[in-house]
Amino acid sequence: MSHPGEAAVELRGVGKRFRRHQDRRGTLKELIVRGRAKQTQDFWAVRNIDLRIPKGSVYGLVGHNGSGKSTLLKVMAGIYRPNEGSVAVDGRLAALIELGAGFHPELTGRENVRLNGSILGLSRREIDGAIGEIIDFSGLGDFIDEPVKNYSSGMYVRLGFSVAVHMKPDVLLVDEVIAVGDEDFQRKCFDHLYKLRKAGRTIVIVSHATTLIASLCDEVAWLDHGSARGIGRAQAVVDDYLTSVNSGEDAPLRKDGPEYAAHRTGSGEVRISSVEVLGADGAPVAACVSGEPLRIRLAYHANERVVDPVFALAIRHESGPVVTAVSTRITGDDVPEVDGAGRLDYLQSPCRLNPGTYQIDVSVLESSGTHALDAWTSAADLVVRQARGLHRGGLISLDDGFEAPVTHVEPAARD
Amino acid sequence: MRAARTSSHGSGDDLGAVSGTLRVSRTEGKGPSTPSRIVCAVATDLGARRANALHRATPGLIHELIAKRGLISAFAQRDFRTRYRTSAVGWTWSLIQPLANLAVFAVVFSVVFTARAPELGNGEGSSYALYLFTGFVAWNTFAQLLNLSMASLRESGSLLRKVAFPAWAPVLGSALVQMVQVCLELSVMVVWYVVIGNVGWTWLYVPFLLLALALFSQAVGLLLSTANARYGDVQYIVGVVLSALYFLTPVLYPVSAIPASAPWLKAFVEYQPVSWYVRSLHAALYTLDGPGVLVTGFLLVFGVVAFLGALWVFDRTTEDVGEIL
Repeated sequence: MSHPGEAAVELRGVGKRFRRHQDRRGTLKELIVRGRAKQTQDFWAVRNIDLRIPKGSVYGLVGHNGSGKSTLLKVMAGIYRPNEGSVAVDGRLAALIELGAGFHPELTGRENVRLNGSILGLSRREIDGAIGEIIDFSGLGDFIDEPVKNYSSGMYVRLGFSVAVHMKPDVLLVDEVIAVGDEDFQRKCFDHLYKLRKAGRTIVIVSHATTLIASLCDEVAWLDHGSARGIGRAQAVVDDYLTSVNSGEDAPLRKDGPEYAAHRTGSGEVRISSVEVLGADGAPVAACVSGEPLRIRLAYHANERVVDPVFALAIRHESGPVVTAVSTRITGDDVPEVDGAGRLDYLQSPCRLNPGTYQIDVSVLESSGTHALDAWTSAADLVVRQARGLHRGGLISLDDGFEAPVTHVEPAARD
Repeated sequence: MRAARTSSHGSGDDLGAVSGTLRVSRTEGKGPSTPSRIVCAVATDLGARRANALHRATPGLIHELIAKRGLISAFAQRDFRTRYRTSAVGWTWSLIQPLANLAVFAVVFSVVFTARAPELGNGEGSSYALYLFTGFVAWNTFAQLLNLSMASLRESGSLLRKVAFPAWAPVLGSALVQMVQVCLELSVMVVWYVVIGNVGWTWLYVPFLLLALALFSQAVGLLLSTANARYGDVQYIVGVVLSALYFLTPVLYPVSAIPASAPWLKAFVEYQPVSWYVRSLHAALYTLDGPGVLVTGFLLVFGVVAFLGALWVFDRTTEDVGEIL
């Protein structure tokens, strides 16, 4: 069944436009009074999307909310018609956009299986052939002949999922719907997805669960504001996506360009070339976590040999106060001499800063500690994120606490 | 084993080579003139091969109508089962309502307004109640199919945003259920006619006339429902027009009751489309003198053409209907 070279779904230059009316549903008055030239604001939910989803692969779509993932899935499913481009689907397609779509509350589970199956495109004969299996899979037992209005929400989606996966599709589109039901049922769902995958079916998944996407998918497309920002091997694209999500958090705070030239003084014998916050693995991170080790790496370049320089670093809260200011002289970590490029790490373990945004000032002084070779204010931003659980108030977490309480103290007699 | 989908209906040759279900959707250009279509064909078993042969012989829309009959009937079954699900007497309500209505009108118009019905076909006097009943069934078929079509499309909006299926499927499904209701009313009426002995061979026209009426009414219903999806005022306008048209259709009175001093009124009541069906049913069931093969044939052909035309328009105007509902 599997033909690795062929595409199960192929999108070419797909674009989907939506209309933004004040009130999307028109009235006759508008038609008559204002004519058809009513001002509408259009926006493209997705545009210029080229995707080739190979047969038998598991394909993931990631992106932030509103990036167009679900729209693209609906375009593949034929629910939305693309305004531009073309969609080619080879084989039977089933879309799990919403489980139990079209279930009628007054009908029994069994009746709804037939209805839902028909809506999803099963023929009567196919439903007759699969209905026993569907009911077994749902695990609803005797409840199957009760009206679905009496079902719990879990039972509802279980029945919906059971119908959908028994469509035996060549291409299955899944929109964030697997995260339903209890663990037992979820395992069943995943088992089924793996089974479909083994059988050479193509699966397209939209999910915010990036770990799931990275582990389940062969390839991933990362959508950003309606266009594809990355397409390729699952882990690589998911990593790119996550990096972007993380750096996105402090992007508006970062100062770049000529603006910070004003923050830079010093005679220039030594220049600090970069200030980076590093994670546990030594790679730059956008944010560190309160309570975990904080490492700040200063990279420098000495234009001439300088003996016994003093490196200093201060961390300021964005509201102004300096939380800490240290130098190699104060901590006793003397630097004998610098010449050429080098680096120096500042370590705070654990990070006592409370969650918030801080700025890092760095400087290099000559050995007397009075003349600045390089002084760089707001060299880098430091975002501290909250660890699990409660955190202390204020700027920093000191090594403080309470002693065991003394209760039932007799009030001192008043004079 | 692969077919590109760029053209409207896909040629039969394309579909012949496809295994499983193939969705064919078309590329859209600049304007709305090239809507995408979904054509399905199953070529793995005998039934499908037959369907395929059928597809070659019929235009795409009729083929799709046939291919989706299971879906239409699924919607019909849903509506049928849920219509009176919570009531004790169930479908009996479908008769109590029109019969009660009928009784009130019959009493008011024959007693208060002393309305006269024409002679019965068996020459044994006249029955205003039966004359009214006959026109009533025809009128109800028309009016209910219009209203149900609009309501059905509106209610399908959220589903159309989640699953891809033609928007006419739930509309036609609800129409089928209404036809069950019409047949119930018809059978009560037939029993009544038999009891008073007003039976004739012209009854053979009745099934064809009802089918023609249903097709015509559904044609109007399809057009109104797609208009109503875009312009929410349509359903209220239809309500006003229907209540006026009811009195301008020979249901409560025969055309002959209109005085000659109002020739325009008379001409309108006699020749407006709903009157064609009402008068033909009167002729076939009540006066037993018509309407003749020619008229019946014309009405049937007109109904089929109107229905297919309206379905075509509906199909092309509801492709993105889920987005606006």
